Amino acid sequence: MGRTLIELTDLWKIYQMGEVEFAALKGVNLEIDKGEFVAVIGPSGSGKSTMMNLIGCLDLPSRGVIRLDTEDISKLGESDLAQIRGKKIGFIFQQFNLIPTLSVLENVMLPLEFQEVATSVAQQRGLYLLEMVGLNDRVHHLPSQLSGGERQRVAIARSLAVDPDIILADEPTGNLDSKTGKYILDFLNGLHTNEGKTIIIVTHDLNLVKYAEKVVHIKDGEIEKVEYT
Amino acid sequence: MKLIKAFKHALNMVRHSKLRSWLTIIGIVIGVASVVSIMSIGAGLEQDITSRLSGMGADLSTITPGFSKASGFSHRMPSGGGSAGGATATDEEVVLDRTDVQVLKSIPEILLINTEIKGSAEVYYLGKRGAVTLTGVDQKVWAQITTLEIRDGRILGPADQNVIVIGGRLADDYFEKPLGINKMITIEGGSFRVVGILDDRSTNIYMPIQMAYQVLDDKETDIYDSIIIKIKDEGEVDYVTEKVEQKLMMTRHVTEKDKDFTISSSKQMEEMRSEMVSSLTTFLTAIAAVALLVGAVGIANTMFTSVLEKTKEIGIMKALGARNKDILAIFLLNAFLIGLIGGIIGVILGYLLSGILPALMGGGGITGRVASAGSLVTIESVLLSLSVAVGIGTLSGAVPAYQASKLKPVDALRYE
Repeated sequence: MGRTLIELTDLWKIYQMGEVEFAALKGVNLEIDKGEFVAVIGPSGSGKSTMMNLIGCLDLPSRGVIRLDTEDISKLGESDLAQIRGKKIGFIFQQFNLIPTLSVLENVMLPLEFQEVATSVAQQRGLYLLEMVGLNDRVHHLPSQLSGGERQRVAIARSLAVDPDIILADEPTGNLDSKTGKYILDFLNGLHTNEGKTIIIVTHDLNLVKYAEKVVHIKDGEIEKVEYT
Repeated sequence: MKLIKAFKHALNMVRHSKLRSWLTIIGIVIGVASVVSIMSIGAGLEQDITSRLSGMGADLSTITPGFSKASGFSHRMPSGGGSAGGATATDEEVVLDRTDVQVLKSIPEILLINTEIKGSAEVYYLGKRGAVTLTGVDQKVWAQITTLEIRDGRILGPADQNVIVIGGRLADDYFEKPLGINKMITIEGGSFRVVGILDDRSTNIYMPIQMAYQVLDDKETDIYDSIIIKIKDEGEVDYVTEKVEQKLMMTRHVTEKDKDFTISSSKQMEEMRSEMVSSLTTFLTAIAAVALLVGAVGIANTMFTSVLEKTKEIGIMKALGARNKDILAIFLLNAFLIGLIGGIIGVILGYLLSGILPALMGGGGITGRVASAGSLVTIESVLLSLSVAVGIGTLSGAVPAYQASKLKPVDALRYE
């Protein structure tokens, strides 16, 4: 499809658990192209979350190389990683992970504040995104005043704030009913088809597979198979 | 992240953990308020003493019979456990008399000489009796030499005989009814008219010394309890005091070793008091500083709890692109804010307290002195405690803030 955006080469993540070493990822090789909709599927404990953390620059691999836009990020310091996260990656979590003390709009503006975007610009962008997810009447509410589906829509708006290339979603529908879950997935799919975003969903829910162009099955820290649909 | 945004988030943190933030702030408030009020009261006392030094009284010296080692009461412990103050060096009673006054009169630097006797006298007014301190003064010079202030009436004059000046408390509430000007009071059987009331809270009575000899039975005429001299030039107090000492030693046929009189200038005494006050203030400030320190520990505690509680949020913020220094700034500013708010409220409270406390203190001794001196809130004490509060707040927030900033995003996100 497009050029390679993410490239994992012989990626290992080993956790030291007391005396015992536990390898969550055992030499994973994977390429994700720009604009792909990828689902990473596996049972819990398979290493899929570890992989997502590594792709999302939230953690560093024990061995191996991660290239993001051809740049090797596996040896970068925390500050540089924060920069990459802030500019290139939008996160969507199962727990929504909104800041409870900030309003809906402030939550969406938060990533822009870390990028030192002018407040007026950030506000405009925030309002635009909240309108996009259909929450323009909720901008001054606190997250606790919203339903689960609405919170996840705020999280989506927030993940789009800095207009990142990659949207990383970790079980985005895990805490939602199926109807709301479908809305969220349709929305993500729309981002993929209309705006060409690279979307990576990590899940154990096989129902999500039908949206993805590429399904990566992971088990026991290794990639079992990669399917194209 | 821009500093202003970090500040906004820090403020947001304070706002959303109201109770805990306020409890911490109260800790700082107590510390700062006590430091400010104690420093202000201390400054007030010192200013009071300084003004007394520079005003009336600095040119006065008092000679009393008896001697206890060195002069003044800074070395008032006689060796061998003898009595203090008016302890006599010989078996024979040591007194001050006319000869000493004559000697003093020969010293040209001395402007005025006042002789005094002092004793306890029984007073009687409108059915109530009491014993008060009676001082006989040389009414010819007393008006010019005394540091006491008159509230009502007049001071004793040269021609006065059976009249007295009384202390403020004796006039106002010692007896059933106030003892006003021109009222007659019975002292040891004799009748006396009140001509002046002092602006103080004492029960003292002052009368011409010749009358006092008659009232106080145990006093012998021309024997004085103390002689007070006023020196012409205030700058020469030390020199003249020394000169008086030498002359008196010569005429009384004593040496440094068996000196039988004490001469102390009010300057010396005020300086000594000033020293006492400043060491007392230092001591109290040290205690207040402990309160401030406890407040600081409170901030550190709050911050550690806050970091723990916000671990997940820190993880979220990091996932959204917050750098370590952004997190550090938010938590440091949070601690700074708590210190600042606590400091400002503390300064205001301390300011109010330092105004109220002296008013609440009455009576004699140091508390009376505090009451009359009032307080002096200095810019220095305000700035000092504010910067200490802010500094201590930021400092005690530094370690938790640093810990927060160093959290690994993946661990922080996983934290529940």
